[in-house]
Amino acid sequence: MNNLSAFINRGVSRRKFLAGAGASAGTAAALALAGCGGSTESMIPTPTPPTTSFTDVDVLNFALNLEYLEAQFYLYAATGSGLEASEITAGSASSYQNVGSVTLGNAAAVPDLTPSQQEILNEIAFEEQAHVKFLRSALGSAAVPMPDIDLSFFGPLAVAAKITTAATGAGSFNPFASFDAFLVGAFIFEDVGVTAYSGAAPLISAAGVASGYLTAAAGILAVEAYHAGYVRTSLTGRAIAAGSAAAYPYLGDANLVENLRATLTVGNSAAPSTTGSVETLLTLPTSLTSPSAIVAASAADAVGFARTVDQVLHIVYGSPTVGAKGGGFFPNGVNSIFATTTA
Amino acid sequence: MANQETQLLDDIIVTSRRKMLTLGVASLAGLAIGASAPSAEAATAFYTDADILNFALNLEYLEANFYYLAAFGTTIDKANFASTAAGAPPIALSGTVGTPGTVSGGSLVPFSTIQVASYAIETAVEEGKHVQLLLSALGSSAVAQPAINLGTSFQTLATAAKIPGGSGFSPYASDEAFLVGAYVFEDVGVTAYHGAASLLTSSANLTTAAGILAVEAYHAGLVRTTINYIDPDGTGIGSYTNLISTLRASLSQAALLGAAPSAYDSNPDDFGLATFPVSLGGGSAVTATRLTDADSTNVVAFARNTTQVLNIVTGGGAVNGTTAVSPAMGVFFPAGMNAGPNGFK
Repeated sequence: MNNLSAFINRGVSRRKFLAGAGASAGTAAALALAGCGGSTESMIPTPTPPTTSFTDVDVLNFALNLEYLEAQFYLYAATGSGLEASEITAGSASSYQNVGSVTLGNAAAVPDLTPSQQEILNEIAFEEQAHVKFLRSALGSAAVPMPDIDLSFFGPLAVAAKITTAATGAGSFNPFASFDAFLVGAFIFEDVGVTAYSGAAPLISAAGVASGYLTAAAGILAVEAYHAGYVRTSLTGRAIAAGSAAAYPYLGDANLVENLRATLTVGNSAAPSTTGSVETLLTLPTSLTSPSAIVAASAADAVGFARTVDQVLHIVYGSPTVGAKGGGFFPNGVNSIFATTTA
Repeated sequence: MANQETQLLDDIIVTSRRKMLTLGVASLAGLAIGASAPSAEAATAFYTDADILNFALNLEYLEANFYYLAAFGTTIDKANFASTAAGAPPIALSGTVGTPGTVSGGSLVPFSTIQVASYAIETAVEEGKHVQLLLSALGSSAVAQPAINLGTSFQTLATAAKIPGGSGFSPYASDEAFLVGAYVFEDVGVTAYHGAASLLTSSANLTTAAGILAVEAYHAGLVRTTINYIDPDGTGIGSYTNLISTLRASLSQAALLGAAPSAYDSNPDDFGLATFPVSLGGGSAVTATRLTDADSTNVVAFARNTTQVLNIVTGGGAVNGTTAVSPAMGVFFPAGMNAGPNGFK
């Protein structure tokens, strides 16, 4: 019977559940709270929880790596320069002491923005910068430094997604070239950020919950979803205004990114697949009675998706490989005990 | 920086979790999950995950009916051609706890743009699924849909917020009015689920609540983005968001009953679309818009407790001076929310 009391009476705690149950928090949500549709309810795959023993510090540091990436992208897009040097350093107690550098690629302030668009870029850049500072402050001497980040990866990523055929130079994808290209670049990150925080929330210990870490993570999750809502609404709204997919290819480009993300995460190098992916493709509504698809959530119960650390890494490394230690946006991997993909 | 209230909640969380982990199934049966009497081990009766989810269900009844009425012209329990065509089936109101009530007010919006129409339809479908999810999960513990006012409530709130022409405001009149009506709800949903997150004791329930929190924030981002797109200078409906946020912040503040805000709340805890200055990469200040409703320092979305949320949706009905009032009644919930014996209303 799928109801609350049956599940709760098994007497599981968060950590005990993850360690012993052998199923993900994602599928458990389907068990405990889905309707009577059973296993067809959940389109969340069965990811493996981290097998390494980890702490709240490890969870927050993993998030910090992703925030470094987002903050650099948005700051460059908004201003043409990135995080201050003081905001990427290693905490004195961190086992990672090398500060990484940013390979810029085409990173530069996005040109030809309206004042309103510039104000929005300023806002998102500020907010991701604030998340970097907040996590660093919470972690104190345990904060990891920024790893090497490669913002030229957008080019090869677009080729892998079949958006373009050139990885560099003429015809290559450059998210800093225009507002619409920026939206596609932002799109690569935003739904991922939401799902990463959703996946991380249940990993926080009971002590961490009492310390407020869970509330903090949930609050950052919400902000990532505001951002994702902004990007997806903008892509959809501008496509509607243009009138057709052909007139606004950026919406289709975003969907190609979704397909790539699905292939990277659901399948693996031996069996790439998009079945059961945690993506919601954007649609172009064409009448007053058609729905949009702004929200990325399960079609069954409209609950947002969660991803495991491995799935997030597959996306940001641009690799479906198990045992991948880096690549893509993080050419030398993230500064984290989770850095190598295990599934 | 936990205040007295959060410390109390933290103690409850630790106590309940300790019971679950160390005392086994027998003790679980003694907790007030589905049982009518609190455990003898509990000094006072306290809430369970079911009570938290029932609080959310009350809010989802409210939101889902608003969007169904606006998008389809029907309440969530009655199908019509539009709702069926959009894939939003009627929802069997299977909740039984508390006093069932009817929905008053609301009507189909005469949409003129595909953007706003499509957003309304999508959101209605999603909020309906949230109601179904919670009803299914809660089973016989689910609260009934209480009396809900989706008509004159908006005039009351718009007047209190000093929106021009507020006494005649209807969110069902046009695309722009609908967006203002949606704005009333969405950020509140975010703060409610955010406040609830750390109170849930089951991993599975937390994951689901996090997933619904994300969707509420997508919706809030959608509404704020669209209002900003229509009114980038903030002289029209953009300015109304500031008035509504100011009102919500004051109702939320009043519900703290003189205590300081919790660690992830602040005063004010609600911002409209007015711009604010930011420093990027250590540079001098530039102007940023405010598509995200969060604090300006850490940019963590606000978390409200149930009294704060109640005070907003009842238009001040949860507080009398520095005393909490329960059951809170007014505005959207004229007869109050429904709740179990240890629940929130």
